[in-house]
Order: sequence, then structure tokens, then C-alpha cells
Amino acid sequence: MAYRTHCLICAGTGCVSSRSYELGKALETELARQHLDDEVQVVRTGCQGFCAQGPIVIVQPEGILYHAVSLGDVPQLVTEHFLKGRPLRKLLYTPPTEQAPVPALNDIPFFTKQKLVVLRNRGLIDPEKIEDYIAADGYQALAKAITDLTADQIIQEIKRSGLRGRGGGGFPAGIKWATCRQAGLHRNVEPVVICNADEGDPGAFMDRSIIECDPHAVLEGMAIGGRAIGAREGFVYVRQEYPLARARLAHAIDQARDFGLLGTDILGTTFDFDVTVVQGAGAFVCGESTALMASLEGKVGEPRAKYIHTVEHGYQDRPSNLNNVETWANVPLIIRRGADWFAAMGTGDVSENPWNGSSGTKVFSLSGTVNNTGLIEVPMGISLREIVFEIGGGIPKNRQFKAVQTGGPSGGFLPGSCLDLPVDFDSLTEAGTMMGSGGMVVADERTCMVEAARFFLDFLTDESCGKCVPCREGLRSSMDILTRITKGQGQSEDIGLLREIGDVMQDCCLCALGTSAPNPVLSTLRYFPDEYDAHIHHHVCPAGACRDLIEYAIDPATCDGCHACVKACSVDALTGDVKALHELDRVKCIKCGACVEVCTRDAIITRPVHATDPVAAEVAR
Amino acid sequence: MATATFEPRIVAFFCNWCTYTASDLAGTARMAYEPNAPVVRVMCSGRVDPQFVLKALQEGADGVLVGGCHPGDCHYQEGNYTALRRFRLLKRVLTQLGVEDERVRLEWISASEGDRVQHVVDEMTAQLRTLGPFQQVRS
Amino acid sequence: MNTINLTINGIEVEAEDRTPLLAIADRIGVKIPTLCHHPLVEAYGVCRICIVEVHMRNRVRLVTACNYPATNGIEVLTDTPRVRRNRKMILEWFLSRCGHVPILNALAAEYGITEPRFGRGDDTCILCGLCVRVCSDVVGANVLGFFNRGTTRYVGTPYDEPSDACIACTACAQVCPTGCITIDDEAELVRGELPLGPMTPIYIPTMQAVPHQPVIDHDSCIHFKTDGCRVCASVCEPKAIDHGQQDRHEEIQVGSIIVATGFQPVDANKVPQYGYGRYPNVFTALQVEHMVNASGPTNGQALLKDGSKPKAVGIIHCVGSRDKNTHEYCSRVCCMYSLKLAHLVHERSDAKIYNFYIDMRAAGKGYEEFYNHLLEEGCEFIRGRVAEVSDWAVTPLEQGKLVIRVEDTLAGFVRRIPVDMVILSTGLEAREDAAEVRRLFNISCSSDGWFLERHPKLAPVSTFTDGVFIAGCAQGPKDIPDTVAQAGAAAAEAMALIDKGHVELEAYTAWIDEERCSGCQVCVPLCPFSAIQFNKDKKVSQLNEALCKGCGTCVAACPSLVAQQHHFTDAQIMAEIEGVLVS
Repeated sequence: MAYRTHCLICAGTGCVSSRSYELGKALETELARQHLDDEVQVVRTGCQGFCAQGPIVIVQPEGILYHAVSLGDVPQLVTEHFLKGRPLRKLLYTPPTEQAPVPALNDIPFFTKQKLVVLRNRGLIDPEKIEDYIAADGYQALAKAITDLTADQIIQEIKRSGLRGRGGGGFPAGIKWATCRQAGLHRNVEPVVICNADEGDPGAFMDRSIIECDPHAVLEGMAIGGRAIGAREGFVYVRQEYPLARARLAHAIDQARDFGLLGTDILGTTFDFDVTVVQGAGAFVCGESTALMASLEGKVGEPRAKYIHTVEHGYQDRPSNLNNVETWANVPLIIRRGADWFAAMGTGDVSENPWNGSSGTKVFSLSGTVNNTGLIEVPMGISLREIVFEIGGGIPKNRQFKAVQTGGPSGGFLPGSCLDLPVDFDSLTEAGTMMGSGGMVVADERTCMVEAARFFLDFLTDESCGKCVPCREGLRSSMDILTRITKGQGQSEDIGLLREIGDVMQDCCLCALGTSAPNPVLSTLRYFPDEYDAHIHHHVCPAGACRDLIEYAIDPATCDGCHACVKACSVDALTGDVKALHELDRVKCIKCGACVEVCTRDAIITRPVHATDPVAAEVAR
Repeated sequence: MATATFEPRIVAFFCNWCTYTASDLAGTARMAYEPNAPVVRVMCSGRVDPQFVLKALQEGADGVLVGGCHPGDCHYQEGNYTALRRFRLLKRVLTQLGVEDERVRLEWISASEGDRVQHVVDEMTAQLRTLGPFQQVRS
Repeated sequence: MNTINLTINGIEVEAEDRTPLLAIADRIGVKIPTLCHHPLVEAYGVCRICIVEVHMRNRVRLVTACNYPATNGIEVLTDTPRVRRNRKMILEWFLSRCGHVPILNALAAEYGITEPRFGRGDDTCILCGLCVRVCSDVVGANVLGFFNRGTTRYVGTPYDEPSDACIACTACAQVCPTGCITIDDEAELVRGELPLGPMTPIYIPTMQAVPHQPVIDHDSCIHFKTDGCRVCASVCEPKAIDHGQQDRHEEIQVGSIIVATGFQPVDANKVPQYGYGRYPNVFTALQVEHMVNASGPTNGQALLKDGSKPKAVGIIHCVGSRDKNTHEYCSRVCCMYSLKLAHLVHERSDAKIYNFYIDMRAAGKGYEEFYNHLLEEGCEFIRGRVAEVSDWAVTPLEQGKLVIRVEDTLAGFVRRIPVDMVILSTGLEAREDAAEVRRLFNISCSSDGWFLERHPKLAPVSTFTDGVFIAGCAQGPKDIPDTVAQAGAAAAEAMALIDKGHVELEAYTAWIDEERCSGCQVCVPLCPFSAIQFNKDKKVSQLNEALCKGCGTCVAACPSLVAQQHHFTDAQIMAEIEGVLVS
């Protein structure tokens, strides 16, 4: 049946948790009620990316974007837009820098600067319908790979494209595939392909979104990889915390098998390839390749020395090719549109050597103190400034940008001076951080860099497998030091000791979790030494975040006595009559920040504990 | 008709290895027993032909005692089993002929059972004393 | 395999490609510290203390020597400032958890650590994983594992409960570098009482064992339980250990056989009134024999179960001998060995020794003199059969002691003697399987189960079966000199038989008169020695005199009276019958 218009509802985890499934049902019901159900099709798609503004509804072919749609809006939306043909103004999105709403998706800055390659199908297809994927040229690349190309040709194409691992390592995929294939032939053991969907970095949701919006892209990529490497078995290791992704993936596999695109004799040829989904069990360290393979084998997820590479001896001692979800999702396009097309995007010249640049695009999950938190895909080489300010829409409440964190707990913080750096593998590494898997967290002036480093270290301490001494004890001793510093008990030797601990950990840890664990500390030490200095020597937290070093106070200039804070306070530290200046009892105050959240006037301020100390006050400002 | 002076005469067929040695032992151990059972030594109780038993009774014996090794211990493996089979058949025939049960006896006596030789001979002698002489029908 | 060249601290060395650096360094005498490494298990690489620098082209890597595979052309430096700095901090980290472990502090001293910067913790487990790996990879019991992750990681058993799978092999304690695993000798759990038997599954039975070679006890060997271990085989240089050995049946043709299968001691449990098995310090003489042996479990000390020296010892004679309830015969050797033990125990512990006897049988060279010597030593001899041993104290002096209640027949009254240790002089009896064994050889036995000799006075070592001889305690209880004498006698007779070169057949074989044989074949199946064959051509039964043993069964069976036995013909026996009945 030919629909005249499509109503695409975002059904990524974020919007689903904002009840987008119910929204979809409500729309269908309302459309049916208004006898429009044979004209307007409701499609549930994967994550649209505009997560802060969800639930998102996009109407095609008009390309109108509605944000924050709620169930109550449905009747009016249907009547206005689908019956009368007028966009519903109140649900249109207004960028922070604009006065008027911008109806068209393609005009919204968040979207215009992005380049969708991996996420090409986002918001357009129903991930639970293989027909949609096939209609969008899906599985054509696989057909080409099986019938027109040899294994070596496929590997050559991937090499020439310059595709580098999107999981954080940045290792050229083509070289990895070639090595794995060689190992399989040399050892006469059938290799296996593995997709790493563990995505343990806090704040990262790229892989989840890719699987949720376009699972077949990953499957097709793996099948092509299997063909190139000589593997007939593939595994997708999905972390336990991604039930929707697992469900969509399993469903996609079933459908692909039904269509003869996975399993035995694919597309009527003698090529066999099948995929099994395996669930993780809540360990960040299982994102590390050797730990992942141990977990796949049913053993405890602990890494082992990588002196013997997993491409030669991996899962069940077989040559194993492990790539990230995003890496696999790039493969079908490279095969379909050619290595040159892919290499033309990005930085550097990868035609001779994939290490010489960063080709293609990268998916990032943008979060933190930025207006447009969500999922973005940008060409390699775009500047941080463009991402944070143009796509991200800048810092809310017009606060000051302070730092952007990339690469998750293994990465580092870049200050404002680095905003014009091009985002690619090598530039970021040189600057003291790394691309990582694509998590990007923006920090404003209220973020304490010492506390941020401590936060990541806390995460790593919890997630360390504990097998090797430098990681287990190094993290513990670093945590002790940083915690002391944030409590104002720092000592001058601490900085030197933190650096030394970092050096030893980088030298001696058994796996990359350990060797990269010092990065948050070392990068904050590099770019924000003053903050450490203030904490240690002056017992002041310049960002006003470390609880032991600050006190809350009410700014008499801005308080309007609205009484919201008094209601929010759980320890009765705030008192005052309505419409009169309120008072804050510093003794009772536990600095939970509840009042800060509710105060519309930003009248609750933080200041150093020893506010009466002139030196400290000087340093603080 | 038992008289006070009646002394039964028993012919004892003892196998060389067990019963004969036992009786030898009884002797060396100075065990006293009735003298009524002179011994005819055979190598094995399996040598004892039923005809010997009949001959003995015919020649005037009041009883016949056959002694062999315990089942399983026969020096020639199975001779005593053969003896047992023959003895059973013989007994049936003898019973039909009117020979009392106590007159023909098969005993298993091992080489160290000197006391058993003593016991059996004494018992048999006492029984036959009471029973009286073996009456044959003489044509 | 490939041979490669590399340098370690400037020393050029050749090695097989991919050999771990630690092995190569060890071979050339370069010392690299390790903590989590052990030759029995695969390298784990977690302590990181064996970190070394590897230079290849212009690249430097820090790698763990225990599992880094050597490749051609690398330069390894094991003691640079960078390496030392790293090792120092790693040691400080170890100390922050386990601050008082000797092996760590020894290493720390080498690296100049006096005040560890992260403090000293009180733990003793360095989480090296050696115990876990030995238990799962070598022994195969899989009892120990790591639990939790990160800083709360610890070694333990499932659910933190004592594991049934633990076979108490103590391998974990042996490999633990810090000594934090201890073995609790729980009485019922592992080896209860004083181990008077073998202490390990592979053992040499005694110092005087012949052959002096180890044996493996199938029931306690770990390999047969878990398919793992085989440490013994891995350390045996001549590769003499084969766990796969099976019982083999071999047929050997011999001319004569000597059966010398010995005796077994009377089971002291058969005499329950003496408390064996109920009271810990009631021993059998054999156990005490083992104990006072210099190569025994106590190095020759005479000790009670709790390790202390006894102050009074009672030796009870005739346990299981001269007893209507067990054996009526005298076991012959007990009096003398009781005296020996009395002397030795007194020597080793200065305890007061009591002997409870019925008669003193000291018939032998020097035996009576030895008995007198003991009398002079202060050993007390009480003539009387002990009624019972118990721990019921009636007076304060008897508290905590074993009380021997006996009628002192010479003194004429019942006595209660408190002692610390009771030794039961158990007698000798025929072995449990004696009946089975003797039937194999057609040997008779006496009423007590001892094998029967052909003649008690004149043929003590031969049996009724030609060619089969007996010697030693299989024939009856006797001491060593007598056993040796019998052994010599039996050997001589056996040799005489073989040396003769010919065998004298029994004279009393049977024969069959073939002329008159009717061919009824009644005799054929009767012969246990298959001496009679039926000749189909001649249609007669033929008897092979060489095989005939002379039982006469065929003779008695022959209906034609054609089979006869030499010296035992029908005519002869008939004549005998007539003869004995002549009054």
C-alpha cells in the first residue's frame, strides 16, 4: 500500500524509556480513529540521535522534526499535521541560539554538521524489518563480496579504505583481517569473527544505538568479514545491560536466516556464516579482547598477556578477529561504494598506509554540560569546537566551557586551548587523550577536574579485574591520594607520587585497562595543574564542587524568596519567609545540591569553606 | 539279637591322603578308640568299588566305613565326588535289600582330624553293637 | 624448531624461538625476581615483578619475563633504573597489602625500601594464584578459586565453605610463597592418629623393603582420583613411573613350587576387651615395632598419640593366642618380641614397663638370658591373663590413664595397673585367603588353617602333592631362625627334585587291558587328569601312565574289570577284605 507520508518515531532506548512505544501506539490509534491509517504509516526507527529532546517524531518526506512529544499531544498532532497539513508549532524545536523554531530536520544545526555513514539508516528504517534494510540497499555488499570478490580482494579494499578500529585501539581493520586470515591458513585452523558490543565506557552509547537502529548493518559487515577471513562462525558479545539491543539483534538474525542471508548456503552459494549473540555479565573489563574471549569461552572474564596475539590464538585457541560494532557497520558501505569513497572522508592520506590518517566518520555520544546531548556522527577531522558548540549547541545557561573528555576512562581531558584540534586518532593521542570508542563528555566551569579524575578512577577501581598488582594496587593508591586531595587533605608529594604511579602503571599493567588508567589523572595534571595546586596547597576547589572544600550560601542579590529551596532541602538547612531573603544554615547543610537544582535564579552559590580567608578567596576567584 | 559279647566287625576303606593320615595322627596323638575297624588303604575314596562293600558284608563284616577327603580337598581333585555318587546309589540298593542305614557309612575326614576318626569309629561301633550282627540270607 | 639469537644484559645467547625470557635468563644464570611463578604451573604474569626491558630496533617495551616469548634479535635488559623503579613501586604496592610477609620484605630490602610509601597492610595473601593454579591444573581437584574482582579479590573455596573436593594433598601449602596457607591436621579429616603407615601415596614400604623401590597406593594417589598431578612421574629422571600399569597374568612353566605365603597378625579388634580402636593409646605390637624403628614416623621415639612420652607401659601377651575364643595354639614368637619391645620402649622413654604373661616361652639361643636381663632392668612381670583394659578411673592415680585389670596368679589377687600406653602382643594366624591359596596347590590344612606338611616330624616342608613345598609361617607360627631353616630345607628339596633330571612316578598307576576293553568309555570322563583317551580306530580306551596319578576312580568304575590299579587291584583289595575279616 502506498502511504503518502511516514511518521517516524524514535525507538532507541532513550526515547523508549520516555514512552515512545506508547506514543507510537497512541499515534496509530488516533490515525485510525481519524481514518488516516491507510495514508500515514507509523514506523518505529532506531535512535535519531537528538536524545536530549526526546521523544522525537520525524515526519517524512517533509522532513519536519518534532521534539518532546508526549501522549497528550497526539490528538492535536494528528489533527493539525496529518489532517490539516499544518506543522504543530509548539512541538517544533527552537535551537538555543535562535528565536524561532526550526521545523526542518535538515536545517537544525545539530543535524546539518553531521555526516551519516554508519548511521545512514537512522530514523529511516524500522530495525525490526529486514525488508526495510534490504530496500535501503542492504545486503548488496554481501552479495558482491560472495559472488564478485575474492577474500584477498575484500581485504585489500578494507585496507585501502583506511578503516581503523572504532573501539578505541584505532588499529587498521584491513591489516587485522589479513593477519587473521593468514594465521588461519598457516595453522590450518578455522578462524572466528567476533563483534565487541560490550561498550563499557560510562557515557558511551554509540554501539548500543547502532545495533538498535540498524542491526543488519553489523551482521552484514560480519558476514563480509567472515568471507574475507575464512570464518564461518561469528559472535556478538553484547553487554548484559543492553536488553533492547540484544533483542533487536536476535530478531535481526532470525530474519536474516529466514531470508537465506545467514546460515548455510547463503544466497544460494556455498558460503556458510552464522552469528550467535552472547550476553555479558556486567564487567567493564570484558570489553578488553582477551577478557572478552575468556568470557565467551565461559571462563571468568580476565585478560591475559597479549604477547601472543588473539588474531593467532584467540577464542578456543583459534585465530580470532575482533572488531567493534561501529567498525563492522562501516564494512558494507566500503564494499558497496568503494574504498576511495571512504578514504576521501577524514584526515590524512591512507591510500598507501592506513596508519597515515583517520578516514571515514566517527560516531560520538555527546553528553555532559552541553545543550544537545545525543548521538552524532561526524567526519574525521572536524574540530572539537564545531562538535561542542555547533552540533552540541554550546554550554547550557551560558556557562563557560572548561574541558571535554574523550575516550572514556582510558582517555583524558582537553581544555579550551585544544578546541580547534581536529578530531582524529593521532591528534587526540598526541594531545594526551585518545579517541576511544566515542564517548565525549563536556564539562563546564562547575566541574572540578580533580573530582572528574577521581570519578573515573573510582570507576576503574571498581571495574579492575584485580589480577595484576600494578592495576589493582595502583588504582587503589591513586584513589586514596585523589580522595584525600578532594577532601582538602592533599600533600605536596602527592603530585609527584601520582605521576610516578601513573608511569609505573603504564609500564607494568597487564592489559590496556591498567595501562590507560592513569590517563584521566595525567591529562588533568597536564592541563589543569592549578586546580590540583588549589586543592592541595590552598584547600580550595575552584569549581566549587568538592564538598569538603565548599560551603553553600545564598546570594542576596539574586534570591527572590520563592521558597522552592526550602521545600527541596531534606535537612531543614534553609529557612526564610516567602518573598523574603532566605538563609542557609552551614552547619546543617550537607551540600547535597538539591536546592541548587530547584533554584531558578541560581541564587544558591558555592564558595570555599574558608571564605573569610582572604588568600583563599583570592585564589578561588 | 545283640549279645553282651557281640563285637561288630567294620571294614574301613580309608583314602591314603586324608582319612588314612588322620587315623595315623590319631595314633601318634595317642587317641584311644574302638579296635573294631581294621583299615584297608586305598589311594582315593574313588577307588572304592561298590563291590568291595558287598564283598565285605558277604565275608562277614557287620558294617563298612568309607573315609575320604572333604569335598574340594580330594588329592585327586574329584575322586571323592565319584565316591559320593556311587555311595548314594549303593545305599538305595542296599536299603532295598534290607541293609540297615547305620551299617554302611561314608565320612569325610581330613588329614588333621584324628579326633574325628576316633569319634566316627566309636560311634559306629556303638551303633552296630546295638544293632547286632549283619544277618545274611543264605541260600 | 627455530633457533634464534638474542642478548640478555649484553650476553649473547641462543634459544629456541618463543621461549619465555625467564627460562633463558635462568639458563645463563641471570637472576630475575619472581613471585607468582612456579615451575609446576604455567606462567601467570600477575605479580609483574619480573618486568624487564626489551629493545627491538628503536622500540622499548616493558614486558614480563615469565611469559614473554623471545624473538630473534631482541636485547633484553633486566636491571635498568627504569626496571628497578618499577619493581620498587610494585613491591611497595605488595607491602601496602601484605606488609609483614618475609619474602616480600626480603625483596624489598634488595630494592632499598625502608619506608613503603603506601603503608604496611596486615594481609598475608599476595594473590599470586599459585595455590589456585596448582589445585586446578596439577592436582585437578579444582577446590580453590579467585572470588570478587578488583581490590576485594581474594582466594577461597566455593561459598567460603570447606570443600568436599579437597583431597588434602597440601599442594597449595607447598607452593604458597608467603606461607599463608596452613594445613590443619583435623583428626578425623586428614590423617587421624599417629601415621603408622605410609605418609604419601607413593612410598617405600620400609627401610628394609625388598626390593627397595617405591610403590603407589592406588586408593590414595591423586592421579587416580582427578586424572591430574603425576608430579612423581615428571620428576623421575629415568621415567620409571607408569600410572597406566595394569595387572598382567603370566604363565610360567615350573618344575617345583614353594608356597611361603606367611601369616597375618591377629586382628586386635577380635579381642575387644583390650580397647583397641576405642582408646587411642592402645597399640598392636606391630605398630609399636614401626614406631620405635629409627625410620618410622617418630624417628624411633616411643610416644603417645598426643606426642608425649609414656610414663608407664603395659604389654599384654597372648592376644589372640592360647585362647578358646580366638586361637588355641601358641603363636610362639610373641613372648620374645614382647620382651624386645619392653626393652626398646623402656630405652626410648624411660617408662615403667609391665608384662602380663601366661608363660614365658623363651626357647632359643640367648632368649632366656635376655629375659633375665629384662628382669634386672626393672621390667615388671605379672603372671595372669588380662581381663580388660579401660579408662574408668577409680582412684585419683588412675585419672587419665588406661587401667589394666588382671589377676596376678602368683600373688593371688586381682590388680589394677594404671598405664599410659598398652601394647597388645597379637598372635599369628593363617591368612584370610589361605584356603583359596592352598586349594590352588592341592595342599591340605590343619585345623587352624596352617598348611599341612606331609609329615609333622619327618617331612616338615613337603606336602602331599609332589613338587609342591611349603616353608615358613604358612606352615605354622615360627620365628625367623626357624623360618630361615625351613626355607633352606624347602629350597633344597625343590632343587633336588629339579636336579634329578627325572621324576619318579607313583608306582600305583592304573592300566587298561586293551584286548579286553569293551570301549564303553565310562572311564574316560572320570579321570581328572585326562589320562584316558578313547581310540576311535581301535575302539578302545587307552590310559597314559605318565599322566596317571593313581587315584583308582576309573578302576572302580570299569564294568568289565578291565581297568586295574597297580598294587591296588581288585583281587588284592578283595584279598585284604577277606584278610581283615578273618577272626
